[in-house]
Amino acid sequence: MTPAQTFQEEEFTAKFNGKVLTRILGLIKPHWLWVVGSLLMIAGTSTLDSYFTYLVKQIIDEGITPHDRARLLQLLVRYGLLAIGQAITVFGFIFLAGLLGERVQYDLRHKLFAHLQELSFAYFDKTPVGWIMSRVTSDSERIADLVTWGLVDSTWAILNVTTSLMFMVKINARLAGLIVLILPIMAAVTFWFKQRILEQHRVVRKLNSKITGAYNESISGVRVIKALVRERPNMDEFADQTSDMYLASYRAAWYSAMFLPLVRLIGAFGVGAVIWYGGLQIQTQGITIGGIQAFLSYMMFIMWPIQDLARVYAETQRSIASAERIFSLMDSHPEVVDRPGAVEVPQVEGDVRFEDVSFRYGDGPEVLSHLNLHVRSGEHIAIVGPTGGGKTTIVNLLCRFYEPTGGVIRIDGRDYTEMTQRSLQSHIGIVLQTPHLFSGSVYENIRYGKLDATAEEIERAARIAHAHEFITELEHGYQEDVGEGGNLLSVGQKQLISIARAVLSDPAILIMDEATSSVDTLTESRIQKGMDAVMKGRTSIVIAHRLSTIKNADRIIVIRHGRIVETGTHQELIQRRNDYYDLYTRQFRHMQGTELLGA
Amino acid sequence: MTQKLDPKLKHRLDKDISHAVTNNRIVGLWRLMDGFHWLYGGAMVAIALAALIRSLGYRLVQKIVDQVFEQGLYQNALPWLALTFVGLAALEGVFVYLRSIWSAQTAEGITLRLRNYIYDHLQRLPFTFHDYVKTGELIQRATSDVSALRRFFADQAVGIGRILALFTVNLAMVLSMNWKLGLLSIVILPFIVGLSLFFFGRVSKAYKSYQEQEARLSTTLQENLSGVRVVRAFARQDYEKDKFNLENWEKYQRGKRLILMHSLYWPLSDILCAAQRLLVIAVGASMTMRGEITVGTYIAAMAMVTWIILPMRNLGRLIVQVSTGLVSYNRVMAVLAHPREDIEGGSVPEDTVIRGAISFEDVSFSYEPELILSDSPDKPAATPAEGTPSPVLHHVTFQCEPGSVVALLGSTGSGKTSIINLLLRFYNTSSGRILLDGRPLETYPRTLLRRQIGIVEQEPFLFSRSIRDNIAYGAQRPVTQAEIEAAARAAAIHDIISTFPQGYDTIVGEKGVTLSGGQRQRVAIARALLKDPRILVLDDATSSVDTETEDVIRQALARLIPGRTTFIIAHRIQSVMNADLILVLDHGRIVQSGTHAELMAQEGPYRQIYEIQSRVAADIEEAQ
Repeated sequence: MTPAQTFQEEEFTAKFNGKVLTRILGLIKPHWLWVVGSLLMIAGTSTLDSYFTYLVKQIIDEGITPHDRARLLQLLVRYGLLAIGQAITVFGFIFLAGLLGERVQYDLRHKLFAHLQELSFAYFDKTPVGWIMSRVTSDSERIADLVTWGLVDSTWAILNVTTSLMFMVKINARLAGLIVLILPIMAAVTFWFKQRILEQHRVVRKLNSKITGAYNESISGVRVIKALVRERPNMDEFADQTSDMYLASYRAAWYSAMFLPLVRLIGAFGVGAVIWYGGLQIQTQGITIGGIQAFLSYMMFIMWPIQDLARVYAETQRSIASAERIFSLMDSHPEVVDRPGAVEVPQVEGDVRFEDVSFRYGDGPEVLSHLNLHVRSGEHIAIVGPTGGGKTTIVNLLCRFYEPTGGVIRIDGRDYTEMTQRSLQSHIGIVLQTPHLFSGSVYENIRYGKLDATAEEIERAARIAHAHEFITELEHGYQEDVGEGGNLLSVGQKQLISIARAVLSDPAILIMDEATSSVDTLTESRIQKGMDAVMKGRTSIVIAHRLSTIKNADRIIVIRHGRIVETGTHQELIQRRNDYYDLYTRQFRHMQGTELLGA
Repeated sequence: MTQKLDPKLKHRLDKDISHAVTNNRIVGLWRLMDGFHWLYGGAMVAIALAALIRSLGYRLVQKIVDQVFEQGLYQNALPWLALTFVGLAALEGVFVYLRSIWSAQTAEGITLRLRNYIYDHLQRLPFTFHDYVKTGELIQRATSDVSALRRFFADQAVGIGRILALFTVNLAMVLSMNWKLGLLSIVILPFIVGLSLFFFGRVSKAYKSYQEQEARLSTTLQENLSGVRVVRAFARQDYEKDKFNLENWEKYQRGKRLILMHSLYWPLSDILCAAQRLLVIAVGASMTMRGEITVGTYIAAMAMVTWIILPMRNLGRLIVQVSTGLVSYNRVMAVLAHPREDIEGGSVPEDTVIRGAISFEDVSFSYEPELILSDSPDKPAATPAEGTPSPVLHHVTFQCEPGSVVALLGSTGSGKTSIINLLLRFYNTSSGRILLDGRPLETYPRTLLRRQIGIVEQEPFLFSRSIRDNIAYGAQRPVTQAEIEAAARAAAIHDIISTFPQGYDTIVGEKGVTLSGGQRQRVAIARALLKDPRILVLDDATSSVDTETEDVIRQALARLIPGRTTFIIAHRIQSVMNADLILVLDHGRIVQSGTHAELMAQEGPYRQIYEIQSRVAADIEEAQ
């Protein structure tokens, strides 16, 4: 058993951090051509966006006012051609940036997954699966969004504001100067609100997951709730949570509701200024009607690029936090690594020796101390003892999921760290207490034990494991879909498949953690037969919960508080009237009773 | 951070919405909005007014251009005209604000009521429902489907209203300025809308397939992570990488398809919009030159055309979203349409004192056929799947006196749990009847009945809250710390709780400490002690704990049992020997019943079991 370790999610700064930003940019470096392409395209789109407004001004001032039909036609044709040109740039930036985003996501996930395959067990024992999942799924998505849409949107916004200002200066520099005074106010308000809105949404999301948790508990604990007549108080507690949710959502909505009118009002002051100042200027020919019209359009539009900038800014902070988490995952190193010069060992006899092995998890207390154990090739060992005594740790060490903190483990007399991990693990077969299957067919799951196995080999393995019989009873036989994590099958059936999988891999050493959960009698006896068959001719180490396994073992090891307290055969240990005797009379006698009741 | 809601609002939020569960979608949606009809209507009116005021702003620009700029009139009024424009913007802002606030209040209010109603519904649904419906499925309906409904009220309906308002108001305004220009400004519009509908219909399918691939990718990842022992033990890292990359690559391909669709739609739609605008610009220009319209009209019309066409590009998206929102509505209603368990009803008064005499009279029981949760309230909420249920209890008859101990002995599936389930009325008997203190069980309100029965299960379910709350969970009254500690002491768990840094405030479960099976069991014993029931159900399985703990639990139980009618679900002879009545069950039938002495005097399974267990002792003797 691993000691209960609670994983504390590190707090990340989420400040603009140059190092992280550079590293994020490093992610798009291999695809720099796409980046450049999408930026060029968005630059075109953005410039044209502000030019169209100017073009309309030209149409009024150079075509309509002087009644110049030829010029008008020329400008209209230009409008049409540029519209087509812009459509092309729009296509270009959506396509390139979109593709880049998908690609960056693909790359990141690819890298993260590969890295995860190399990390040690210690990492998985202290990091919840959910945490890792969010890194690979939502965090990588957020980063991809930042380096694509974040980049594209902010480029569009900055260029749009700049070119609009340039055109405004060209039309009337003093009026443009007046407008420039309004922009910072608008920007400040926008940034402030976007920040608040994002924060509120974070609160809402947190409450939302709390509510989901409450639903979850009310469903999985429904038996207790009904038995304890807790419906009313539970409802009241839940109503408190939804009230909080209401208030938080309402606050988020309030910020949004305030934001748009306020920004537009600020813009309206600009429009007012244009009307007033423009009206005065028009008399002195300082500005044309088209010019005023253009100013009005620019003024009413400029809130959008500013809003985009504020949004990207607010999201960047979140993305940087995501990036920090992802990089922390990428930077964690496996604790168990192959030694330099570690060799592949194609064949082992299966002689296992623990010499003075001690172990602790991290800084925790010692869970194994000075353990000595010799399992000869072909021997069947049953390990028994109370929970937390160190049984699982022995398995973890033998598979080299962890390495001993003291002492040596030898396979065929050779220190097992001289072998590569994969070579070692390929000689060990493992059947776990809670069998783990993968989505896919029964066939694929058994084949997991030997990827190049033929259909005949797979069926043979299933027969040996006594799984063949139930598999053929399934509707689609070997092609039956086992469901996510195998959940369309019963625990017993999963167990049988996992035994068949181990049979197929034909290991020299077999490790089994017997299930404690009860399965129906028929499956139970099949599992028993399957285990017996698979153990034949191999070194086997079984964490035993079944009486028959123990009685059939060549040797029983009793482990308690990280030490071997007794070893011997069933008969010998009973006679000694010690730990095993206690365990047997208490636990196994009960089991015998149950086994009889079940028969 | 629980805050108080505005009482006026609270009144609205407390409205019962059970009558909204109907198979008529429109009636159902309307009733869901109960109490908010005026507010939401107000939001819609505000949308229209905001659109109207905006186009009035353009009319103002039109007048200023024509009369002030062109004709040089009212020069002195310029500052006032400018201020009027600002004033109009402010007024528009007020309506935009009201629209947002009112629609948010409505949407959040409806959602809150719905969430509460679903929560209550879930805990009141009978086991005939819970047995067959997967937790994940229910949670999805309670969360993401409800969110989809929230978005329907908060964003989609409002969004469609806004598009229609902008369209109507601006079109009317342009028409009123010049009907020719007005008609011209919507010539290409049908194509823009048509393209939008077509595109968003297609893209939602592509998006769905993209999301499905994303789900597949996370499943692959999740199975890899949770099966890390298997992956390593078979040294299958490379195989796993290939598998993951295949899914990852497929997702990239589907993403590409989606991107391609978007990168075609938007420029195409842009071109159509540009064409529409160009049409107005060109024809408007020549009309202006011919003097048919003024420059001011020209400028105002150009601005308004933008507001007629641009929002229409999103109409397709909103319509697709509304249709998925309605699917979610159906999925939620399918759960709500399933009848609740009546926990309050019964002719026996709530304050009746229960003595605990129980008799089963020829009770048979079989589970109801399997249910499949449908996606629509039109069909029955849950339809039986094929297959006939097999009986799990056959003609069970026995009785016991108040305060006696009844032991149920039998293998898994022999019917022990079913007897308990019937006693708690988690299920109803198929035939025969159960009497409590001489009255049929059905005449007791379930609340009364369940308050008087305490259960200590083998692997008790604890809630992820403090140990204190878990112990007080079933008490039905405020309890003091002293009472909680007394119960914990009696259950022999106080000492362990004291070793936790946060003591009784320690949170149990995923987000807190993990208690061992034996510890959980003792918390459940403390819980049962505080509840102080007349009838007690104990699952006597202590095989997973070590000897010392077993003794402690045994002592704790010994303190719990006296004076209560007790059912022991037994797994071994020792724990039943002192029972007043032992029922040996096999395949849903009582095969033997009596006291230990009586059963030992008979030929039968009880004696067989007893002898086997004695043989273990003999076996040990022999080994010596």
